[in-house]
Parts: sequence; C-alpha cells; structure tokens
Amino acid sequence: MSYDWQPLLLTFKLAGVTTLILCLIGIPFAWWLSQTKVRIKPVLETLVSMPLVLPPSVLGFYLLLAFSPTHWFGSFVDQAVGLKLAFSFEGLVIASVIFSFPFLVHPVQSGFQNLSPSLSEAAYTLGKSRWQTFLYVLLPNIKPQLLAGIVLAFAHTIGEFGVVLMIGGNLPGETRVASIAIYDEVESLNYASANFYALVLFAVCFGILLTVYLLNKKLIMRVGGI
Amino acid sequence: MIELTLKKQLLSSSGEFTLDAQFNVAAGEFITLFGPSGAGKTTLLRCLAGLAEPDAGRIVVGGETWFDGAAHHSLPPQQRRVGYMFQDYALFPNMSVRGNLEFAQPRGADKRRVSELIELMALGEMQQRKPATLSGGQQQRVALARALAAEPRLLLLDEPFSALDHATRVRLHEEVLAMQRRYGLTTVMVSHDVGEVYRLSQRVLLLEQGKLVQQGTPAEVFGVGHAGGKFSFAGEVLAIEAADVVFAVTLLVGNQIVRVIATADEAQRLKPGDRVMLLSKAFNPVLVAC
Amino acid sequence: MNSLPGIITAIESNEHLSLVDVLVGQDSFTAMLLETPQSAPHLKVGNRVAVLFKETEVSLAKNLSGLLSLRNRIKATVRSIRHGEILSEVVLDHHGQTVTSIITSRAVKRLELQQGDEVEALVKANEVSLMEADNEL
Repeated sequence: MSYDWQPLLLTFKLAGVTTLILCLIGIPFAWWLSQTKVRIKPVLETLVSMPLVLPPSVLGFYLLLAFSPTHWFGSFVDQAVGLKLAFSFEGLVIASVIFSFPFLVHPVQSGFQNLSPSLSEAAYTLGKSRWQTFLYVLLPNIKPQLLAGIVLAFAHTIGEFGVVLMIGGNLPGETRVASIAIYDEVESLNYASANFYALVLFAVCFGILLTVYLLNKKLIMRVGGI
Repeated sequence: MIELTLKKQLLSSSGEFTLDAQFNVAAGEFITLFGPSGAGKTTLLRCLAGLAEPDAGRIVVGGETWFDGAAHHSLPPQQRRVGYMFQDYALFPNMSVRGNLEFAQPRGADKRRVSELIELMALGEMQQRKPATLSGGQQQRVALARALAAEPRLLLLDEPFSALDHATRVRLHEEVLAMQRRYGLTTVMVSHDVGEVYRLSQRVLLLEQGKLVQQGTPAEVFGVGHAGGKFSFAGEVLAIEAADVVFAVTLLVGNQIVRVIATADEAQRLKPGDRVMLLSKAFNPVLVAC
Repeated sequence: MNSLPGIITAIESNEHLSLVDVLVGQDSFTAMLLETPQSAPHLKVGNRVAVLFKETEVSLAKNLSGLLSLRNRIKATVRSIRHGEILSEVVLDHHGQTVTSIITSRAVKRLELQQGDEVEALVKANEVSLMEADNEL
C-alpha cells in the first residue's frame, strides 16, 4: 500500500511559511505591545486573542467573504499582485498567520514584559540604538518564550482544520493539508490512510512539544544561572 | 561642567508635586542627591541621563546642551555618554562579565580598556561567568566596570549600594572613589545613607518633595545639633528600669540597643515607645578599633 | 539633667575648640565645646543659653581648700538626700536654683553629708553643654 505524502508535506510547508511570517510580524509587534501605552492597547490585545476563543468557522467565514473576487479586498489583491486568495495556498497562509497570531504573540509579549526596563535603559545609556538593543539585549534574554511561541505557532498551524476547510477547500497540492486529508479519508471509509496521516501528525507534534519542554528546562536553568 | 535647571510634574503616593531644581556641578566633583524616597532624586538622575524628560528647563553639560525645554530639544540618551549604575545593576544576563564590558564600549574603542578595568576591579576570575552566577557585591563591581567601559563623561549612580551588606558596601565605596579619581569623573549619586554620603561626596543636595531645601558639604548638611554636643542620635525608648536612685533606660538607636542612666525625674517623663534625642558631649566617648 | 539659665560673657576659641564663659546668677560657668562660633552661630557673647550637665558628672566637696583645675565650682546648700544602696541623689540649692548630684552612697557617708550642709558642687568644663535658650530639649 502506498501513501500519499503530499498532504503532509503541504502541511509542513504551510506551518513553516506561516511561522516565518509570524516571526517577522509577531515578534516586533509583541515587543511594541509590551512597551506601548496607547489607549487602544486593550482593544488590540483583545483582537490578538480573538482566534483563541472564536470558532474557526467564524473566522473562516469572514476571511472567505473578504478573499472572494467580488469583495474589494479580494479584488484589490488580485489586481495588485495577481493573487487569488480564496481556495489557494496563499490564502491559507494569510488565514493561518491570523489564526496562530496569539500563540506566538502571547508568550513573546510576556517575555518582553518580564524583562527589567532597566536592561533597555542601560543599553541606551551605553549608546546602543533601539534596534541594537532589541537584537543583542532583549531577544537573547527571552529565548525560552521565543522558542515556546515559535513552536506553539508552528504546531497550531499543523493542527488547523476549520479555517482551512472554510477558505481552502480540498485541492490536492494546493490546499489539501493533512488534517483535511484525514477528514476526507474517514468520509470515504479509508481508515488505513486516515490512520497514517493521523499517526504522523501525532508523532510529529509530540516530538516537537517534547523537544521544547526538554530544551526550555535547560534554557531556563541557564538563564537562571543554576 | 553641569548647569541644570528643570521642572517636572511628578506623581507620588502622597499626591502630585513639582520637581523644581537648579544646581551646578563642577568638573570632577562628586555630589549626592539626598532625601527621603519619593522626593524626586531618581527622576532628577534620569533626566540627566535622558531616560526621563523634564517638562521645562535646561541641562547643559560641558558646554553641550542636552535638554532645552524652550527649544524642544532633547539629546537622546545614546548621545549623552553617561555611565549609569542602576539600582538593580541591569547587567545583561545573556552576556559574560567580559561580554557586558565589551558591549558597553563605544565603537572602535581600545579593547585594552576592558582588560584594564577587569584587572583594576579584580574581575579576572569571573570574567567568563554570567551575571546571574555572581553575588550582589560582584554584580555591583561589574556594573561599575561596565559604566566605566563606556568611557562616560558623567557618572550617575542610583542608590548603587542599597542592596548590599555593610562590609561589601564599605569596600565598594573605596573602589568607586578610586575609580572616580582615576578617571576624574564628574559624579552624581542618589543615596539616602548618611554614612555613604559622608564617605563619598564633596557636596550634598538635600531634596524634599521635589525642592532643593539645603546644600553644602556633608558636614554642613548633616552637621551639628544645637546643644553644643557633637553627638545627637534619634532613639526610641524600649524599657525603663529602676537602678538604685537612678534609672536605666534602654534605647534603640539605629540598629543598636544602648542603655543610658536617667534621674528619677527624667524617667518619670518617659515611657516605652517615646522618641527621644540622645545627646552627649564629644569628650566622653572612647574609640576602640573593631 | 541639670539645666541653668545664663548669658555668654566670653568665648575663647581655636580652630575646633571653644572655651565659653557663661554667667549664671552671680557665678561664672565654663563650658568646653568641640565647636566654634563659625560652626555654631548661637555661640555669641550676650546670647542667652541653658547650661546643661548630667547629674552623675557633679562631684561634691566639703571644706574645700587648695588649688583645683576645675573651673566650675558652685557653692550650694544641701536641700535633700535620697539614699540608695550604691548611689545617692543629693539635691542642692544654689541661689534658688536646683542642682542635683548623683554620687556614691559611700561618698555621702564619708563626707557625712546632712541636710543644710554647705558644699561645693564641682563640674569639669568638658562635661558642660550649652543650648540655645529658646530651644527646648
């Protein structure tokens, strides 16, 4: 019996791209959120956390509307960069970024908040720019939270189902990720295939989380100087 | 060296008040901002470092304008080149002792200065260790060395020794003085430890509720009581016991418990818990080395 | 604490020390201070001060003759004596002012002190403090 590896590869590609984009947007945003005193901060924090409580189908539904070629956003993206977001890999990436946002931002933000403000101030008085301070002083000192955020975001993207189903559909090689494939195989009573995908996902997620816990223990020990 | 005039609205536990200070500091001088906590000392120091911004005023250091409220000009902390020692040391946990010092150096600075400081401050054995593995006193020395590695034009010390035990504190006082003299650094320290101020600074500015209420040498500011005795200590009566025709009064002075003879008349007017001044002539006390 | 009101009549000082003469009633008191008029502005001839000294620093003499280095000699009458096991309190009357002395009971016995005795109270100058008169302790 031969297995179709494509849904699994697609899943990891989606999780990888999503996590990469999340790092680029989410880490600076988490830092900004930890520092800012703007009045709408609670509103922003609520928005970031919404995907934690909202049924994925709600988010998926609105994203589907927004991505549709008849909507101004969908048609704008189509015309500007020639991307059709609905039922495409790119659409899935955008949806996943939004959906996994809190999983990265929360730990990283709390990491930044737990650092003594005098660390940044010390760096400033030593002539270091905000960017140098961020890169050499702040980031290295929140390694455990950074690792936790990245891994949670990655693992959460792997496990995503509802949003993908709503806006991605089930196009092999484009949007048919492993979680969808499992559902599909079960629907057609193909339990052996479903089991294969499920087992791989289970093993991978377990492996990743275990690594994080082992690493984090070491990291925390090193940071704590024990 | 420093000409400072500033106003800043502050919020404290006892309500709002205005920090309103004006003073000058000569080059190479060591001054202390002294006063109760919440008087605005640290804010003043932060305004000098550029970590806080006054509402109005002017700060000129070595001929360079660091802050000018009227012109909306404020030099960012990065360009002020101050050595700031934080109350919590603020050592970078991810870097070794040497790493902290090297990171502090201005671009293109001579690496030998780091080695020199490590040797001067006897940090050699711990130079590869992370700050979290050091004792409080060691961390404090690293913090001082790091501030000096930045080749500052001005040294700012924010209650630098408050978390240390007495013996460590006294040792560090000597190191700070030695370094301050070696590099001829103009220094502003915040402290509420009279002994520390006496040992270290040439001039004290007494700050209360944001106002400079007194300044002078430590001897002038903490000087003498009115009773012609050089010895006057505030104390609390703990116990009064009859001892023949006199009474033995047990007092708490600072952290020390002392006993003093009082007449029946005096003892009658005292009860445990009373605050008293303990006065003595300068001629009576005997000094014994310990 | 013994406290007598007086007026400063003379000050002799060097860099750190001052010898201050104070007129109390008709008697002259001398205080030795680790202060100078520069460091302590209340030290000024003509200023009113309180002369302070501790009871345990007051020695008593009866029929005293000869030379003595002590500057503060107060002629007084014994008003009352309270005898203790080791120490005794001798209250003296000096032109209506009260001066108290605490000495050993042994000394009271040796001097055969009685109420109404004429004695001299002796205080070393460096045991005497001066306080600004308007400043209550």
